[in-house]
Amino acid sequence: MKNSKDKILTLSFIGFLCTFFVINLCVKDQDVSVSERRKLQQFPNVTLSTITDGSAKDEFEDYTVDQFAFRDFFRRIKANINYKVFGMLDNNGVFIKDDYIFKTDYPTKTKSVLDFTKKIQSYASSFSENNHVYYAIIPDKNYYLNTDLFLNLDYDYMYDTVTSSFDKAGYDYIELRDVLKLEDYYKTDTHWKQENLAGVVDRIGSVMNLGASSDYQAVEGGDFYGVYYGQAALNLKPDKITYLTNEIINDATVSYLEDTKQNQVYIPENLTSLDSYNVYLDGPSSLITITNPHNTSGKELIVYRDSFGSSLTPLLIESYSKITVLDTRYITSSIYQNYLEFTNQDVLFLYSTMTLNNSDILKN
Amino acid sequence: MLFSSITFLFYFLPILLIVYFIVPSKFKNLVLLVFSLIFYAYGEPIYVLILLLSCLVNFVAGLLIEKFPSKGKLILVLTIVYNVGQLVYFKYTDFFIANLNNIFNLSVPLLRIVMPIGISFFTFQTLSYVIDVYRKDVEASHNFLNFATYVSLFPQLVAGPIVRYKTVEEELKKREITWSGVAKGLFRFAIGLGKKVLIANLAGELVTNLTGLANGSVVASILTAVAFTLQIYFDFSGYSDMAIGLGMVFGFHFLENFNYPFTATSITDFWRRWHMSLSSFFRDYVYIPLGGSRVSWIKWLRNILIVWFLTGFWHGAAWNFIVWGLFFAVLLILEKKVYGKYLDKCGVFRYIYTIFFVVISFVIFQANSLGDAFYNLKSIFGFNGLPFINQETIYYLRSYGVLLIVAIIGSTPLLKNLVNKIKEHKGTGLKVMNIVQPALCLVLLVVVTAYLIDSSFNPFLYFRF
Repeated sequence: MKNSKDKILTLSFIGFLCTFFVINLCVKDQDVSVSERRKLQQFPNVTLSTITDGSAKDEFEDYTVDQFAFRDFFRRIKANINYKVFGMLDNNGVFIKDDYIFKTDYPTKTKSVLDFTKKIQSYASSFSENNHVYYAIIPDKNYYLNTDLFLNLDYDYMYDTVTSSFDKAGYDYIELRDVLKLEDYYKTDTHWKQENLAGVVDRIGSVMNLGASSDYQAVEGGDFYGVYYGQAALNLKPDKITYLTNEIINDATVSYLEDTKQNQVYIPENLTSLDSYNVYLDGPSSLITITNPHNTSGKELIVYRDSFGSSLTPLLIESYSKITVLDTRYITSSIYQNYLEFTNQDVLFLYSTMTLNNSDILKN
Repeated sequence: MLFSSITFLFYFLPILLIVYFIVPSKFKNLVLLVFSLIFYAYGEPIYVLILLLSCLVNFVAGLLIEKFPSKGKLILVLTIVYNVGQLVYFKYTDFFIANLNNIFNLSVPLLRIVMPIGISFFTFQTLSYVIDVYRKDVEASHNFLNFATYVSLFPQLVAGPIVRYKTVEEELKKREITWSGVAKGLFRFAIGLGKKVLIANLAGELVTNLTGLANGSVVASILTAVAFTLQIYFDFSGYSDMAIGLGMVFGFHFLENFNYPFTATSITDFWRRWHMSLSSFFRDYVYIPLGGSRVSWIKWLRNILIVWFLTGFWHGAAWNFIVWGLFFAVLLILEKKVYGKYLDKCGVFRYIYTIFFVVISFVIFQANSLGDAFYNLKSIFGFNGLPFINQETIYYLRSYGVLLIVAIIGSTPLLKNLVNKIKEHKGTGLKVMNIVQPALCLVLLVVVTAYLIDSSFNPFLYFRF
């Protein structure tokens, strides 16, 4: 009996190692991890110099981990053990509360917040006297966590720092915290839901003196596996993604600085891409111009934004003849000024607290 | 290459196991040597030459000592100079330069020498070999293949234990490989792997999180010290378990390196249970040759201080390691000459006393400098003006609470005793263990694989050793 136990233990142990050795050799390498939304390490370039400088070894270590067979299955095991056996509050900084997935962004980086205010004011230094400047800070969904259990940003500090700085500069503030709630955000993603932005649009409209917005038709885009879905590595339900449209949005013409991009506000093909949120204004784009043929007032808006702006901006179109959307994570002021003349446009700075706390991603 | 890596577990090990078990006995040492050199060269492509040179020099020295006994002492001294010189050059040169610069206000540039991994371990092994040959405790090896296999044997090459030649002398020539031995070895390896990946790495994650806190607290400082103590124990004893287990798989029987050190009843007892292969090395090759305790009080004091200075310095070329060693020297002197006899009568207090000073010692060990160590100690005792506790500390305490409890229980012989109790019931108990052991082994492998795939935190703590 003891001997058979020894044989079972030995053969199962060695069998497990050998099975995965063979599987890993046989299974074709993947380029990207869909669930983690990142490129996977490929087999390293092995030369004498990469061997001696150690880079071949380092890349091979990453390669074996990234290309391991059934990687997502193993990641799920680890997440479950962390949460359910060790009772950990987070797994790789990701935690679940009331079916919502959150990511810890901690601590509050005071320097980053101060740098944010400096960068914005540096952008504004090229504005004309006739530009009317507004700003809104979008609270990330952790703001609506109704518990002290998790580590959270010092939102009061962030808002106070930015408002006191921008008030002195004469920008008009648009408060959004009271018109949003947790349900207005996706469960599996960092972003807000476009279909829940009526309160935000109304608040912006009232501060910026825009007319009442018209009705929209909601188009369901199917399941949405947000950015946190793969990071959580658990069996959770996906969100549903919806985009709002109407005749004005349908007729708007859009031009992207990257000339390969399409000329629509919404790109339904992106609903089946790695990130369905890219349905809005085709996702990350440095400079977008949206022209509204239904509005002949000549009124223009320039939006400085991060990814939250992709879903909000289409809902502001009807009040303007033209909106220019700038994402300074991808374009510097010296470059966008070649495409843009500041005259008498409205200017809206629209950034999330996540960008405030990681403002080094904004270019000068 | 780390044992706790996908590369080792799913590429290196299966190939080695298959080749090793297939080849005839007379080629098994060759297989082990070749794979050990590959294992070492994977991380240190150039330094494999240092390892081979060390094998050659000590092998020849052993033969010469045996052949020319009248010149034995000279050959021994020269070999010790070579071994220690090699260690000093790679490990301590920059330490000496930096200190000379400080003392004499010089600006001699540091050489930034990259230390060959495991040099402290294999140098001590070769030292023990030539000294034992000189003392005629062992016969010199006449087979370079066997000797090189002993020195470079990958299971203990990079993180110990320090295996003496006489421990494996016979097994290098002939060893029996049985189902029972292999199964026992694989189970021991799996336990060590679990200790390293599931406890040490997570405790290390906690240490990293706590040391990076924006706002510290007294409790966070204490928690850091406790977590680091657990991390280093589970990391080091996990590596030793893996080494001993792999040794068994290949037919070797290494001596134990840890014996539940946190259940020690004094610091003297602690060092009989912690890194036993190192403490016995210093005892047999430094302390006793200096006269041990059978000398005058002053000389004994000198011997203790030398041994513990060296023990500290062996762990790393920095002052905090020296202070760490001397800290233990002071406690051992006090136990021997002042209060040791009273400790035995102190019941549970003995355990508290020991663990308290062990944790304090690891605060010194963990620090990047003596200044850091002093600051961290002040934080633990509430002298840095930190709040007693804050939200961040509570978060990490809640998040890692279960892990800490598991680690504390795992550092005691409770589980081992429980298993032994079950085994005592020859009928049902053994049947249960016969099912549980292979299942546990497989579950551990799956879970460890999951953690290796999804964790970026997998440190190798012995790069300074």
